[in-house]
Amino acid sequence: MSDSKTTITVWIFALTLLAGLLVLPQLLSYSQREIAVFLIINVLLVVSYRLMTLTGEWSLGHVVIMGVGAYASALFSKRLGVPVPLSMFLGASTAGLTAVVLSFPLFRMKGFYFLIGSFAAGEVIRLIWKYFTFPFGGAKGLNLIPSFPDIGWISFFDPVNYYYLCLIVVSVSLFILYRVERSRFGLTFHALHWQDKLAESVGVNTFRYRMLAFTLASFFAGLSGALYAHYIGTVNPTRFDVEEMVYVLIWAIVGGTATFYGPIVGVVALTIVNDVLLRALGFDTIRPMIYGAVLIASVLFMPDGLESIFPKLKRLMMGRKTEPATKSEAGEIP
Amino acid sequence: MTQPILEVCDLSRNFGGLLAVNQLSFSVIPGTIHGIIGPNGAGKTTTFNVISGFYAPSSGHVTYLGKDISGIRTDRLAEIGLIRTFQGTTLFNEFSVIDNVRLGCHVSAKSGFLSRLLGADRESEAVATKKAEDLLAFFNLSDLRDEEASNLPHGHQRALGMAVALAADPKILLLDEPFTGMNPEETARMMTLTRDIRDRGITVMLVEHDMQAVMGLCDMITVMNFGSLLTEGTPKEVRTNPGVIEAYLGSAHHAS
Amino acid sequence: MSELILQTIVNSIYAASYMSLIAVGLVLIFGVMGVINFAHGELYMAGAYTVVALYSGLNLPFFVAVVVGMVFVGLLGLVMEYAFFRALRDNPLGGLIASIGFLLILQTVAVLGFGVRMAHIRPSTQEKIELFDGVLLTHQRLYVIVAAILLLTALYIFLRKTKFGWAMRACAQDTEAAALQGISLNQITRIAMFIGAGLAGVVGALTAPLVSPTPYMGHSIIVTAFIIIVVGGIGQLEGAVVAAILYAFVHTFVTTFFDGVVADMVGLVLMLLVLVVKPTGLFGANDRV
Ligand SMILES: Nc1ncnc2c1ncn2[C@@H]1O[C@H](COP(=O)(O)OP(=O)(O)OP(=O)(O)O)[C@@H](O)[C@H]1O
Ligand SMILES: [Mg+2]
Repeated sequence: MSDSKTTITVWIFALTLLAGLLVLPQLLSYSQREIAVFLIINVLLVVSYRLMTLTGEWSLGHVVIMGVGAYASALFSKRLGVPVPLSMFLGASTAGLTAVVLSFPLFRMKGFYFLIGSFAAGEVIRLIWKYFTFPFGGAKGLNLIPSFPDIGWISFFDPVNYYYLCLIVVSVSLFILYRVERSRFGLTFHALHWQDKLAESVGVNTFRYRMLAFTLASFFAGLSGALYAHYIGTVNPTRFDVEEMVYVLIWAIVGGTATFYGPIVGVVALTIVNDVLLRALGFDTIRPMIYGAVLIASVLFMPDGLESIFPKLKRLMMGRKTEPATKSEAGEIP
Repeated sequence: MTQPILEVCDLSRNFGGLLAVNQLSFSVIPGTIHGIIGPNGAGKTTTFNVISGFYAPSSGHVTYLGKDISGIRTDRLAEIGLIRTFQGTTLFNEFSVIDNVRLGCHVSAKSGFLSRLLGADRESEAVATKKAEDLLAFFNLSDLRDEEASNLPHGHQRALGMAVALAADPKILLLDEPFTGMNPEETARMMTLTRDIRDRGITVMLVEHDMQAVMGLCDMITVMNFGSLLTEGTPKEVRTNPGVIEAYLGSAHHAS
Repeated sequence: MSELILQTIVNSIYAASYMSLIAVGLVLIFGVMGVINFAHGELYMAGAYTVVALYSGLNLPFFVAVVVGMVFVGLLGLVMEYAFFRALRDNPLGGLIASIGFLLILQTVAVLGFGVRMAHIRPSTQEKIELFDGVLLTHQRLYVIVAAILLLTALYIFLRKTKFGWAMRACAQDTEAAALQGISLNQITRIAMFIGAGLAGVVGALTAPLVSPTPYMGHSIIVTAFIIIVVGGIGQLEGAVVAAILYAFVHTFVTTFFDGVVADMVGLVLMLLVLVVKPTGLFGANDRV
């Protein structure tokens, strides 16, 4: 396929998707609209997580970082009276700054040690929220967080309007994340993953680039947290515990992390399965069990994630055999 | 006499109780090919690792361009033109051939965060791509431009490894056994290329077990044994040195 | 004051006992599978619920329930090995995720079988020893301490003196070398999984009357176990025991003299400090270029 033709396909695909996303809330029930809001927020969370994994390090603190954004934005607006849109940005920046600081101890570690180190750092932050009633509200957390101000007659109390707001913020964020990955930064992040010694030997400051990936990922995780906090109006330490982190991991892995769209596919598919199908069937108690079985099945039988289905589908539709997708395609939108 | 580009002074490095490099001193004249040889485990790779900043020296120091560089980080050394390759084939296996070399251009293709985001780095990236393509042509790899590095035959992978290193604009290039696993024709071609590299004004340091290649290429050779300096001299002097012959007879299979 | 200190030391010894059994099991599984078993806390929970079912429910003798719990949970370990760990041997992330899946399944089974509420279990004994003036050790806790000493000694002898133990250690150090020695990898893995899981089961069973089981009790124990194995250097059995003792003392003392949240925080910060100073744990090996 020629390059320009690929570009056109991508554009058609993107526009159809956008149109679909715009009409989506009109087709949903009220509670489903709420789910759609959270879904959009979670898309940002999991895509930002993937940026971090490009460098080869898997963090268990990402949801806590999201919480840092949520808490910070809530505190800026509630206690200091900062207007909500600005406080959201400040919240995201606080999350990014937290990552800068955490980089110094954490990037001395690698692999499993990093995983556990990031987990411990996250737990320390959560315990700080729990322990200090001022300003964090202790175990009960913060509530009555100011909501996003009305713009003219548009009230963001309505999930549909908040959905559109999130859609805009998240689309812009995803665009930035996508650009970062397609630039030399993305190449360098991948290089750190596969051969950090070689990267170092040609002049890559591995610490700086790991820190850059971590900070960017954290900024957008923090932004997703801020979007969350000002919608739901309350945050507490339990909302950002390791179980939530496990869900992010699951979305990323079931979707697959080799491509930009993999984690998005993962979070969308699993949210539909979890919040729509299983809930509709009334399987509330056994939901975790089904989730667990899906998880085991997907690592066993679909080791490259849901994303690996798409190249296969594409080949089927084109009706001829082409080369199977290789890892060098990582990060490409088909 | 010209100022040496690299000077190693009483350098030692130990791992626990093991003295891998012991009171080693030598200096490298700019514009030469300088060989380091010695039996397996003599400490050659460790010497490279210390010079290139992967390990800190236990004692002694390394001077590069008149500056003490002992203990400076690898990437900082790369920025000022001290580049090394690795003993095993070390590449970004999952990258295409061209992306491997493009990554090698890291230092010269520096650009700010915003300019990358806005695509204002297009020009410097085009320069980097051009440089990478030229290097592929130099190593005769142009046809494999978009191949995944891990799919290349071994000899080509070694050549690609050198291309990546050259992309980083070395002033001095440390090659760790660049010819292992190559057939005689490949070795001969790589030897010519190595001379070309030197003739471009890049100083080359070379660790190699292929004696024919070492003797044919090097202007100066340092011989190591058990971590220490055994002798130093031109290929001719080294070849006839009784100590060297003895050291190599100790590990007979290298004598040929 | 000195009474309180002595009592806290006794409590620390109890905590060290169950923590080291859990951590050693986790390390054992890691050694042969190269996978961190996230479901280890739920294996512990399964052990506790065996006691709920057999001892509270069917009125079987306490120790019968404990032994059945150990064997049952050991078998659960074999199920895990057979169902996914074997297929995911060289895939640490995949193994981790699969074990998270298994954790969710075990939790749901517990909820379906026993409900989400705490299960209160009558103590199997009311007896206690007065070690010093006012310093008490209940028999219920003593069982745990004795079990830890016996089981860890037995494990040590097994690993040092038997052919299987020798093979298992070889396998933990270098799977390929072990395979070259003609050792059946699968057999070793199964034994290690059985022992590792069984240890978690026996701790759950023995401590069940002391902790009031819930389906979610595994969570805090796995966090503790992670800290311990990281501080000990992942894959180091002796390291795990030493780290467990260290952690138990620090955590118990801080809990007694400050409070639980501070104790958790101190534990985590200590672990971070260890990792910053020595990024591969206290007893871990350094990596080479
Ligand atoms: N990181 C390390 N930790 C412990 N010992 C090491 C380390 N690196 C090297 N050694 C030891 O130092 C000694 C010298 O090794 P080195 O790799 O420098 O030898 P070499 O001359 O490059 O050998 P070869 O010709 O086989 O490549 C060897 O005994 C080796 O085992
Ligand atoms: Mg070597």
